[in-house]
Amino acid sequence: MTIGRNASARVDGYARRTELTERAGDVRIPCGRVNECRLHGELFVRAAVRSALPPSPSPRKRTVETAALIVVLIIGLALFFDFTNGFHDTANAMATPIATGALKPKVAVLLAAGLNLVGAFLSTEVSKTISHGIVREDQISPGAFLPLIFAGLIGAITWNMLTWLLGLPSSSSHALFGGLIGATLVGIGAYAIDFGVVLSKVILPALIAPVTAGVIAFAATKLAYAMTRRYDGKPDGRDGFRWGQIFSSSLVALAHGTNDAQKTMGVITLALIMAGWQDSAHADPQLWVIFACAFTIALGTYMGGWRIIRTLGKGLTDVKPAQGFSAESSTAATILASSALGFALSTTQVASGSVIGSGLGRRGAKVRWRTVGRITIGWLLTLPAAGIVGAAAALIVAWLGPWGIAIDAVLAVIIVLLLFLRSRRDEVTAANAMSEVADSGRAVKVKRNPPPTRRQRRLERERARQEKGQR
Amino acid sequence: MDVQIDWLAFVQVFFAALIAAVAVVGSYALGLRMLVRAGRAPVVAPAEFTDAITVMTDKQRAKAEKAAAKAAKRSPLTDAQKRLAFAVACAAFGFCALAVLSGLLLIVIGH
Repeated sequence: MTIGRNASARVDGYARRTELTERAGDVRIPCGRVNECRLHGELFVRAAVRSALPPSPSPRKRTVETAALIVVLIIGLALFFDFTNGFHDTANAMATPIATGALKPKVAVLLAAGLNLVGAFLSTEVSKTISHGIVREDQISPGAFLPLIFAGLIGAITWNMLTWLLGLPSSSSHALFGGLIGATLVGIGAYAIDFGVVLSKVILPALIAPVTAGVIAFAATKLAYAMTRRYDGKPDGRDGFRWGQIFSSSLVALAHGTNDAQKTMGVITLALIMAGWQDSAHADPQLWVIFACAFTIALGTYMGGWRIIRTLGKGLTDVKPAQGFSAESSTAATILASSALGFALSTTQVASGSVIGSGLGRRGAKVRWRTVGRITIGWLLTLPAAGIVGAAAALIVAWLGPWGIAIDAVLAVIIVLLLFLRSRRDEVTAANAMSEVADSGRAVKVKRNPPPTRRQRRLERERARQEKGQR
Repeated sequence: MDVQIDWLAFVQVFFAALIAAVAVVGSYALGLRMLVRAGRAPVVAPAEFTDAITVMTDKQRAKAEKAAAKAAKRSPLTDAQKRLAFAVACAAFGFCALAVLSGLLLIVIGH
């Protein structure tokens, strides 16, 4: 306990008030005062007054209680974010197999939910990137950072909800990163963010991964068509890719679980490390965190499926089984390879890149640049926009302190309620049931009668020459 | 601000994903090709007709199955060749499954 002094002298004596403060971390909290009054050298009044209502808990205990409350709020909000992530992304894995008729929508949704659950247990690299990389947790005060994680989550959820209501393309993952980074920048400062990690594990993968997936899907589609092409008009067996799609789309759902569920695990682990409930040297998510996130994303995926079942795959573009199989294989391969190296990707963007790439792999395909531009702008906007919302939520905390956290919590409840009411509204259409992945199928225009391949042209020329010779 | 970017990791992801996708799609396509060669061309009707699929009636499906059977009957291959093609098809599908499983195993064990 340290004692400060605020005394005022009088002619025939003095009155003295001594402030008592208690140290809790870096903060000094006033906890009471001692009043003393002396006249002619004789002690007249001496009274010690404890501030706050007796019997109040010690300031340290109060700080711990506040931290615990914020951690509980963060866990609740993070799990809700996980749920909306699954809810929003069911169509990512299942848009193409439903479009080609490889799976019935009900079966597709069940499969997606089950494999998201399994996928969440496969790897923890992405989680470590978030809990032990983006933020320099060793250089910041835990007490100040916990409310900012909360503010960042509010920024992410708000931006997700806004884009969903307005029908804009967005990425849940980038909304989360944007919210966290924006809140940390405003609440603490640029030194708290490791921009090297942000650039190499978030921003660059966001730009490179969709292109990578697109190029791979393009090559895989060309290969699939080339290997099964028949020049004699007999059945080519490409129908068989429908069977393959059951497995490839399952892999995408699995990959979604390995990448997206881990982002929430990372946020919860970060909060636990900040609260001192987990050692920062061991940034692996705890088992209960893995279980909670896996089940929540699976539940979200399953609950999101009813919209797709209702529309029965309306509003989808023409995807052929060979094309769908190639697109899904390259999506799964890109996400799984990235997850293994800890790149926190947006599965929506990778799946969209694959669908566009595989469309271009078909003969006579042309890109609709306007649609591609619209989708790309939506993606580019997500990170800074969610950052601004996260920063605004962090500003409220910075200005108003605990009241700011309370206001943010109320805002979160309102957003959750709005989301719930929005999802209950009975207007499920193809536009809001399917994700950007289905939408990106429209970015490529494929001719109904594609031009012949080089070999087909040669065969036609030979046939024409023979006919001419016979005449 | 010292920003170090591991560009090699991006190259690794690209090639790992490319090799995995090409191995899976290539072997599956080879399997289908060999199935057709063995006179067992698969005819798989869509499980559910969405508006993205050109509607296939039962009649059309029966016609497609008949065409596949006819093509199989007219195959110039001997029975032994057909059996070999079928064995290669099975091996290709097996390789495809193995590639997927080993990829998953690498991720689980590697980290």
